[in-house]
Amino acid sequence: MKITILNGNPDLSNRDFDRYLETLQEALEDGGHAVTCMTLRDLNLHYCNGCFGCWVKTPGECLARDDSGGVRRAVIGSDLTVFASPLVMGFVSALTKKMMDKMIPLLHPYIVFDRGEMHHLARYKRYPQLGLLLQKTIGSDDEDLALASEIVSRTAINFKSKLCFTKLIEEPIQEVVNEINHI
Amino acid sequence: MKLTIFNGSPRGQNSNTNLLLEQFLRGFCETPGNSYEVYHLNQIAKHEEFVQAYANAEAVLIGFPLYTDGMPGVVKEFVDRLQPFVGREGNPAMGFLVQSGFIESLHSRYVEKYLRKLAQRLGARYIGTIVKGGLEGIRMQPPNMTRKLFACFEEIGRVYAQTGSFDPHLLRRLAKPERISPLLIPFIWLLSLTGLTNFYWDMMLKENKAYDRRFAQPYCE
Repeated sequence: MKITILNGNPDLSNRDFDRYLETLQEALEDGGHAVTCMTLRDLNLHYCNGCFGCWVKTPGECLARDDSGGVRRAVIGSDLTVFASPLVMGFVSALTKKMMDKMIPLLHPYIVFDRGEMHHLARYKRYPQLGLLLQKTIGSDDEDLALASEIVSRTAINFKSKLCFTKLIEEPIQEVVNEINHI
Repeated sequence: MKLTIFNGSPRGQNSNTNLLLEQFLRGFCETPGNSYEVYHLNQIAKHEEFVQAYANAEAVLIGFPLYTDGMPGVVKEFVDRLQPFVGREGNPAMGFLVQSGFIESLHSRYVEKYLRKLAQRLGARYIGTIVKGGLEGIRMQPPNMTRKLFACFEEIGRVYAQTGSFDPHLLRRLAKPERISPLLIPFIWLLSLTGLTNFYWDMMLKENKAYDRRFAQPYCE
């Protein structure tokens, strides 16, 4: 399986998080998966400014001259994309959310009905499954985890996809690997 | 009472969110002595200054458009900067406005739960969340189409000035439809065949001479 892991850890001093992802990547590669890990804080990413250029000017591509195109390419070319982030104020980091916003070029502006709700039309034939990998931080609790998971599950619907798992880096790597192998 | 407004629209001043906040403020300012200040969160370079405004605020209202089912990145950036205030006594009461392009309010209900928890995390009184869908394009609409909508926002602001709360009846009225009736869906689907439901997008695509490329898949080429 082709796996893209988006490392949304904004904090260089949070070494545990990066180390966990490195070990996870090795374990997945040992299991025969092809893994691309992108460290978002090392990329030049502009915030989405709501211009809708990606829908009405250059369909499918963001107008900003930043590194987000490479991330989108890696996402749409994968079978599974994992958003990995420490919980910050009860949700994924701003860095992760910044990149999530920049996923809309992968969709079409047209509206369709999906399970009785308005959603956007697919631009591509297939979309990756999604996974969410979080790290508990001071003050975070199970409710944060549930709320974050719920919001990303909703995003998954818009991305013609499914949130397959929400895991914590406090769990053994093998458990995450097993979860991924079951997809 | 002084209200500190954070406009979380990535489009800043020229945004639907800002337009709605202005209507709210019109009602709010009818009470003598009330005042407000507005900060545009898309000005990332000024976030430190905005955090100071939060620190000194009596009550805050954070408004934003729904972006991939949550708050836009610029809003999360600001929220992450409030971390040092967790555990501080006397944080300002927090209210929110979430508006979406999708017509149904249900899309905004998930982030609403997060916002309630955010106020709780900061030990702040939660004023509530104003939810409104179906708003893309309102800045282009003639006044007679937006009159009722704006009046409702003004009334919510007026009641807030008098009571310190959002009127639940007004919030419910504004939030309609919570979801689209299953009976209406086939009808809307038929309408979509005429191109009417995507009229707005087609118009913009044609204006930009991008209509022929509207189904482009740049990452498959």
